[in-house]
Amino acid sequence: MKKTINFVLLAASMTLGLSTAANANELDKLLQQVKNDRISQAKLDKKREAEFTSARADKQALLNKAKAELKAQQERNKRLTKEYADNEITLAQKEVELDTAQGTLGEMFGVSRAAAATAYGQIVTSIVSAEYPGRGEKLNEIANSKKIPELEQLEELWIALQTEMTQSGQVSQFNVEVTKLDGSKSTEQVTRIGTFNLVSANGFLNYNDEVGQVQPLAKQPAGYISDTASKFFGETSGYHPVYIDPSRGAILALETRKKTLMEFYHEGKEVGYGITVLLIIGMLIALERMIVLGAVSAKMKAQEKNLDQPNENNPLGRLLKVYHDNKGADSETLELKLDEAILRETPKVDRGINLIKMFAAIAPLMGLLGTVIGMIMTFQTITLFGTGDPKIMAGNISLALVTTALGLIAALPLILVHSIVAGRSKSVLHKLDEQSAGLIAAIAEKESN
Amino acid sequence: MLFLIELIESVRSFVATGGNVLYFVAFALLLMWILMIERYWFLSANYPQLRDDIIARWEAREDTTSWYAHRIRDTWISEATELLERNMITIKTLVAMCPLIGLLGTVTGMISVFETMAQQGTGNPRLMAAGISMATIPTMAGMVAALSGVFFSSRLDAKVKLAKAKLVDSLPHH
Repeated sequence: MKKTINFVLLAASMTLGLSTAANANELDKLLQQVKNDRISQAKLDKKREAEFTSARADKQALLNKAKAELKAQQERNKRLTKEYADNEITLAQKEVELDTAQGTLGEMFGVSRAAAATAYGQIVTSIVSAEYPGRGEKLNEIANSKKIPELEQLEELWIALQTEMTQSGQVSQFNVEVTKLDGSKSTEQVTRIGTFNLVSANGFLNYNDEVGQVQPLAKQPAGYISDTASKFFGETSGYHPVYIDPSRGAILALETRKKTLMEFYHEGKEVGYGITVLLIIGMLIALERMIVLGAVSAKMKAQEKNLDQPNENNPLGRLLKVYHDNKGADSETLELKLDEAILRETPKVDRGINLIKMFAAIAPLMGLLGTVIGMIMTFQTITLFGTGDPKIMAGNISLALVTTALGLIAALPLILVHSIVAGRSKSVLHKLDEQSAGLIAAIAEKESN
Repeated sequence: MLFLIELIESVRSFVATGGNVLYFVAFALLLMWILMIERYWFLSANYPQLRDDIIARWEAREDTTSWYAHRIRDTWISEATELLERNMITIKTLVAMCPLIGLLGTVTGMISVFETMAQQGTGNPRLMAAGISMATIPTMAGMVAALSGVFFSSRLDAKVKLAKAKLVDSLPHH
């Protein structure tokens, strides 16, 4: 086809290029060329045909060879299948033989494997492993191996159980690497109490079995508990009380999550601080009043014994001075003058006492304020998150309750102190108000006689 | 002896279920009763002598009608009243404080209930029961303490008032 196109193109070019010069000579040449080409084409075809025929014979040989191979493989397959079936039978026979040979020992191995698995769980989590590390791996080997345990392994199991048993009744001290909370490690001396607690100079320690590390607790439990631990660590002989955790760490973990008093106090937030300020101010006022009133009544007592020489440093002395200044006056004028003087003294004695009473009344009210704020915040939380998780609400509820408690805690001593201070000031006022006139009357009577 | 140990043990278990606030209630109750018993003692043992003494002194006076006599009489009455009324404010305050301390126990108990709820959830009511008993027992104890004080302190108050009125009446101007 290509050739035909070539010819056509050639013819066309010739027609274009030599359109005018086209002659018979040129056309003859072309015809001759076409004829020649046809002869060579035929030769080529023949040659290719010959090649194909010879190749066909080769392919037939290859096919025969492949067929022979397939047959061989199929035969092998048959043979192997039979062999496999034979082996299966032999295996079953051998297993039966093995069982008969093991006899009752087989059960024992099962038991030992189960015992190793149980002991593994116990021993890996036990704090004794902090002192004797690496006991778990051998037990794990026994528990997980498909083979019959060897005598050495059985001995390992026995020793591990025996060690755990013996150590659970002992208190021992040893050096161990302690991984601090910030990741740093240091070797510390540690006392182990049975299988219950690890104790160091800083309190209780925790054994993390997942990484096999001894770690300090995230937070020590309340002071009175952790103090016994560090004291116990310091002792060398004798009997000493110490808090131990029979649940092997679970109670301690709960204990560390308990809030301390200080943390509770700070839950009260601003309202709580306000109440504290009230309490402190009220107590300071009460203290100042007590000191001042104590000094005043002491001075008044001294003055009572020495009525002739009025001393200006106490209210009674000042009243006596009024009398001494107005000796000549009649009783009504004297009473008026005394009343005036008493009126002048009263505020000095009374000062601050009502303030304490007011503080004692305000403190529970502030607690109530905190309660209301806390409840508002709780309901806001409920609006946002729903009531599904009590833990979310608990924070605000504790604000509500802690402020109430703080209000009461502040109010109680303030009330008590107020009653004491009020009693004292009342007795001083009585002395001035009701008894000073009598003292003066007694003096006047004595002088007139 | 065994009886005492059992008594102490029962008190201990009561305090353990009620929480430490009970100590405050006990302290307030103890203080209140010491003061009240002291008052009763004073009224029945010391006061009659004091009263007779004042009456005798007054009877011995020649002048009982002048301004001076009035002032001296007032003073004696005031001194006696002060002795009679000493600590009465504190007793009344303590009576009023007892329910407040109980209330404090309620609040701290509720705090511990919510603390448990925050840590363990609401799944186990047994865990919360400890906090609830810490909330209710001090309240009850505070109430009982206050009630025990209310009756006797008001009786005492009446007695003091009566004694004072009688004293005033037995000092006539003659």
